[in-house]
Amino acid sequence: MTKQIWRVLGWSLVMLLVVEALTGAALAAFYAPSSTDAWASVAYVQDQMPWGWLVRGLHFHAASAIVIISGVHLLQIAVAGTYRERAAAWWIGLVLVLLVLGFAISGYVLRWDQAGYWANRVEVGIAAGTPVVGGLIRSLAIGGNEYGNLTLTRFYTLHVIALPALITAGVVVHIVLAKRARDWSDGLRAAFAMAAVFAVLVGYVVSQHGADLAAPADPSAAFDARPLWYFRWLFELRHLAGSAEKLAAMAAPAVVGGFLVALPLVDKPERQAKRMPWIAGVVGLFALIFVLTIASFVQDSGDADLAKRQAQAEKDASRTRALAVKHGVPATGPLDIKQGIVMYRARSLYEKRCTGCHAATSKDRKGPIIGAGHGNRAWLTAFLKEPSGDAFWGHTKLAKTDDAMKPVELGEGDLADLTELLYAQSGASDVDAARRDRGKVIFDKACTDCHAIEEGVAGASAPGLGGLGSRDWYTSFIGNPKSPVHMGSDHSQMPRFDKDLSIVDRDALADYLVWLRTATQRDVDLLEPL
Amino acid sequence: MGDDPDRRKILTCAVGGGLGLVIAVPAARLVLGPTGEQTVTTPTDPLDVGAADRLKVGGPWQKVDVVAPLVKDGWTTARDVVLGAAFVRRTADNQAQALSAVCPHLGCAVGWDGKNFLCPCHDSKFTGDGDAIAGTGPAKRGLDPLPVKIEDGRLRLTWIRYQLDTASRDKA
Ligand code: FES
Repeated sequence: MTKQIWRVLGWSLVMLLVVEALTGAALAAFYAPSSTDAWASVAYVQDQMPWGWLVRGLHFHAASAIVIISGVHLLQIAVAGTYRERAAAWWIGLVLVLLVLGFAISGYVLRWDQAGYWANRVEVGIAAGTPVVGGLIRSLAIGGNEYGNLTLTRFYTLHVIALPALITAGVVVHIVLAKRARDWSDGLRAAFAMAAVFAVLVGYVVSQHGADLAAPADPSAAFDARPLWYFRWLFELRHLAGSAEKLAAMAAPAVVGGFLVALPLVDKPERQAKRMPWIAGVVGLFALIFVLTIASFVQDSGDADLAKRQAQAEKDASRTRALAVKHGVPATGPLDIKQGIVMYRARSLYEKRCTGCHAATSKDRKGPIIGAGHGNRAWLTAFLKEPSGDAFWGHTKLAKTDDAMKPVELGEGDLADLTELLYAQSGASDVDAARRDRGKVIFDKACTDCHAIEEGVAGASAPGLGGLGSRDWYTSFIGNPKSPVHMGSDHSQMPRFDKDLSIVDRDALADYLVWLRTATQRDVDLLEPL
Repeated sequence: MGDDPDRRKILTCAVGGGLGLVIAVPAARLVLGPTGEQTVTTPTDPLDVGAADRLKVGGPWQKVDVVAPLVKDGWTTARDVVLGAAFVRRTADNQAQALSAVCPHLGCAVGWDGKNFLCPCHDSKFTGDGDAIAGTGPAKRGLDPLPVKIEDGRLRLTWIRYQLDTASRDKA
C-alpha cells in the first residue's frame, strides 16, 4: 500500500510532460527563432496574447515541477531499492533526467533575453572547455562561429524536434520496463495526484503571472548571468572550488552520474538492512545538492550590489517590454526598440551633446537656452531687445566683448516687422508677407552694416541670417558654427559637429529644433521619456 | 527465385538501407554544416567607436559599444550591429588603450566600478590596468587588450574575440 502511493509520482511526471507538449505546441505557433525576432515574439506572447502569459508560465514552471518530482521519484526508487530488479528502467530513467536538463538548456536560450543569452554563453563556454573537442562542440551548438540566427534555429530544433522525440521514446520504454500492474484504485489515486500537482502548478503560474522575461539579449551590456535554479548547485560548486572550478564543473556531474548509473551493479544485497550504506550515499548526495543550491541563493541574497544591479535590470526589462507593447519591435531587432519613441535619435543626441551648454537647468551653461518656442516670434523679439540677456548670449564669452550685438531700439511696430522678416527665414508657413516686406526695409537701413540676409551670404562682421531657423540652416550651423556665414571663427565657443555627428544625426537634431519652435513647454513635457 | 527468404531479407535491407542513406547523409551534412564555418561575419578592420576628444589624456576608462556597420548573420544582413563592448582610455594625444569587456573566463560582460573591473558572473576581478587579481575569481588571464588607434580625431578599434578560459590569448 505505502509503496503504491509512490507510483503517483511517475504518473504526475507523465501528466507534466503532456502539459509541456501541449503548451509547447501552442508557443511554437507564435515563436520566431531568429536573432531579431525571438525576443519580440516571446514578449508578444507574454504581454499581448490573451492567456499567453499563462501558457508560457505553465511551460516554464512545469519544467521546474518535472525536475522536483523526478528528484523525489529517483530518491524513492533508490531508497526502496527497486532498481535491483529493474535496472534497465532505472537507467532509462537517468537518461530521461538528462533529457529534461537538455530541454532546460535549449529552452532557456530561445527567449533571447539577457538572462537566457548570457546563461547560454556561459554554458557553451563550459562545454567549449572540453579538451580536444571543445571548439567543435561550441561550433556545433551555436551553429558556426558566433551567436546569431543559426544559434536559435539549432537550439529550437533540439528543443521542439529532437528532444521531444527522444523523451517520448524514453518514457514509453521506461513505463514498459517498470512493469507496473495497473488496477483501478491505482488509476484513481494517480488521477488525484495529477490533479493536485496541476492545481499547484497553475496556482504558482498565476502568482508569478507567467514566467519572467528580461531585457533583450545585448552583447555589450553586462548582466548577472545565473543558471536556472536546478543548475545552481553546480554554479555554487564551481564557486567553492576556486581555481579547481573547471575540474569541478566537469567532474561533479560525472561523479554524480557515474554513481547513479553504477548503483544497480554494485548494490546487490537482498536484505534491506545491508543496503544502508547505499541508501545513505544516495540521500547524502541529494542532501548535498540541496544544500549547495540553497547556499548559492543565500550567497546572492546577501549581495547588496547585486540586488541593485538586478533591480536596474528589472527596470530595463519592464521598460523595454512596455515599449514593445506600445510601439512594436522594429524589424531590425529589439535593441533598436527606442527608435519607436518620437524623435528618439535627435532627443537622445540632444540630451548627450547639447544640454550641457544649452539647457536652462544646466549648471555650466555656455550658450543661449534652447527650449520650447526657440526661434519663434516672441523669442526673436526678446532676443532683439536684449541680445546679451541671460537667456541669450548672456553666458557666452562673446557677450563680454565689444563685438557683442547691441540691443535693437525700435518702436513695437517696427520691431514686430523686423521680427517677421527674421521669422520668415525659417520657412514657416504662417508668415505675414506685408510685415516681412516692411521688415526688410528696416533691416536694410539698420542691420546691413554687420549682417546679411541673402541665402548663404556672410555678414560684414556678424552672422549671415539667410535661412535662419530653417532645417538646413540648423544642420549647417550645428555642422560648423564657426563658419564665416555663421558666427565666424572667434565669436563662438560651440564646437563643430560635422566630424563627430553624421549628416543623418545633424539632420535629426535640426528637425528637433524646428519642432521646438512651434512647441510649447507642455508639448515638451508630454514627450515620451527617453 | 524471388521466393528465397534469405535473398528477400538481404534485398530489403539493401534497398531500405540505401534509401535511408540517401536521406540521412545529406540531412546530417545539412545539420552539421555550419560547424567550423564563419556563419556570422564579424569585421576584422578597425571600427569607429567615437570621437577621440570624448576622452581626456590620462583620463579614466570609458565604456564604448563596439558596433559593426554591417554584419551578415546566416541569411540576413544587418546594419549597426552591436558586437560587444570595450573600455578605452587615452594615454597620449594620439594614443589610446582598449580592453575588451568580454570576460576571459566564460565571456560575460565585465563592468568598471571606477577602480577595478568586475565580472558579474563568477566574480573575477581585474585591476585598473586589466590584470587579473589573484584569488578573486576563476579568470586565468587579464582582460584582453584590443588594438586601438586615433585617426582624424576618431577612435578606431579592432574587435577580436579570444578563446575563453585559457591562460594564453588565442583568437577564437
Ligand atoms: S565569466 Fe567572468 S568570471 Fe566567469
